[in-house]
Amino acid sequence: MPPLKESATQKDPEVIDQQVERMIERAIARNIPGLSLPMTESELDVGPTPKELVFHSETARLFHYEPLQDEIYRVPVLIVMSPVAKGYILDLARGQSLIEYLLMQGHDVYMLDWSAPRREQAGLGLEEYVIDLVGGCIEAVLSDSGEDDVTLVGYCMGGMLSAMYTALKPRGPVKNLVCFTTPVNGDGMALYKKWMTSPSFDIDRLVEHLGNIPGDFINSSIQALRPLQRSANQMRLLNNVEDDAFVKAHLRFDRWAVDQLPVPGNLARALVKDFIVGNKMISGELELRGARVEFAKIDVPFLHVAALYDHIVPAAASRDFINMVGSSDKQEIVMKGGHVSLVAGGNAIFRLWPQLDAWLAERGV
Amino acid sequence: MSNEDSMDPMRLWREWFVKSEKSWSDSLTEMMGDERFSHGMGRYMHEALHTHRMFSEAMAQYLANLNIPSRADILDMSDRLAHIEDTLNQIQVELRGQRAQLTKLATSSGMAPDAGERKRPLRTRKPAAKAD
Repeated sequence: MPPLKESATQKDPEVIDQQVERMIERAIARNIPGLSLPMTESELDVGPTPKELVFHSETARLFHYEPLQDEIYRVPVLIVMSPVAKGYILDLARGQSLIEYLLMQGHDVYMLDWSAPRREQAGLGLEEYVIDLVGGCIEAVLSDSGEDDVTLVGYCMGGMLSAMYTALKPRGPVKNLVCFTTPVNGDGMALYKKWMTSPSFDIDRLVEHLGNIPGDFINSSIQALRPLQRSANQMRLLNNVEDDAFVKAHLRFDRWAVDQLPVPGNLARALVKDFIVGNKMISGELELRGARVEFAKIDVPFLHVAALYDHIVPAAASRDFINMVGSSDKQEIVMKGGHVSLVAGGNAIFRLWPQLDAWLAERGV
Repeated sequence: MSNEDSMDPMRLWREWFVKSEKSWSDSLTEMMGDERFSHGMGRYMHEALHTHRMFSEAMAQYLANLNIPSRADILDMSDRLAHIEDTLNQIQVELRGQRAQLTKLATSSGMAPDAGERKRPLRTRKPAAKAD
């Protein structure tokens, strides 16, 4: 039998020693991951782009981002976040921020970022969110910018709110409408539809008991759509634990993914009854303060961006949107990616953001 | 991936898990979409709410006896803090408005605006001409 190579027998313990040494050094450098992972927004340094609070009402907070160019497009851009998601997903870190990118391209960017409702705000419903809060923020943007029109960019349910507002006010002041992964067809949210149409599910009782629907509840509902994804992400983290950049990016995403906002009871009630169960956006029966919400009345330039592998808002829930809108200037972009990576992943940075900028620039003068 | 790690059985297992996660998740989601599961979940939720209410009431009394704040007390405090935060936000918005007014007045009367005040950019940008 040939003797084993000397290097193979002698090097292994050395290699192991070196690996252990590297791990210890890294652990010390990171202040021992697992014991002291950066967990808060400030520790993770999310939302680094400078901004100022411009308007505040109930759960709506309107921020204006400091322009990064001396010459900007005339029409301000108002990003409307989903009432269950925090806005820092669009401004995760330098170089990984849609906000920063738009500012660099010369857009004037505002963001409607929702805060957690207090118990006394459980009565806020769809009408208050669309007419009073989105409407209030639009007025504040117009007053702050000195312009008389605005481009709305809605993310997920923020797209729903933006589209509803635009449909209710077809004469302006919305000049352009962009919606990212926006659900309009309740039948397309198959799992939620099954749960919520079950005779044993009673949203009124849930709201009566809880007041506002807690963020953890929302988070669990979202995770049920792909139950093992979070575990798989943890495995990915373990496989890349030596890559500092990967670890930090993972923690930022992971932090955001579980950082869901509670939903006011009345808003949750409307989303369940009118959107999921009643599917009123498709049937055209949705009414807000006595006015019917008809997407066919939207006639401003419209862009809808959907993600091919979105399990939260699947294609069945969003694909009808483009056909429902009455605009003659309308476009749909379907990109590879998931619900979040569509706007904040690597694909977004190199493919979606430039397309969005070009679309906005052409219509922002 | 380093060469030393390529034969790590745990790593191989993790990679297999990541690759097969989607199909496992789809199976579980399909199972959760079953009529009986939906019905059972609804019933479970209401039982959980009922238990939660009973337990909260009993616990609140127990904690009060021990002079320890309950979850409701913490939520009260959280609401009061949120009120204070709202008021501070309102003040911040007001101050911003006042500062903008002062800058406008200073500019119209020919006075130099505050050095800390950023000059507003011109809103005249045009998109770059498309290449043929």
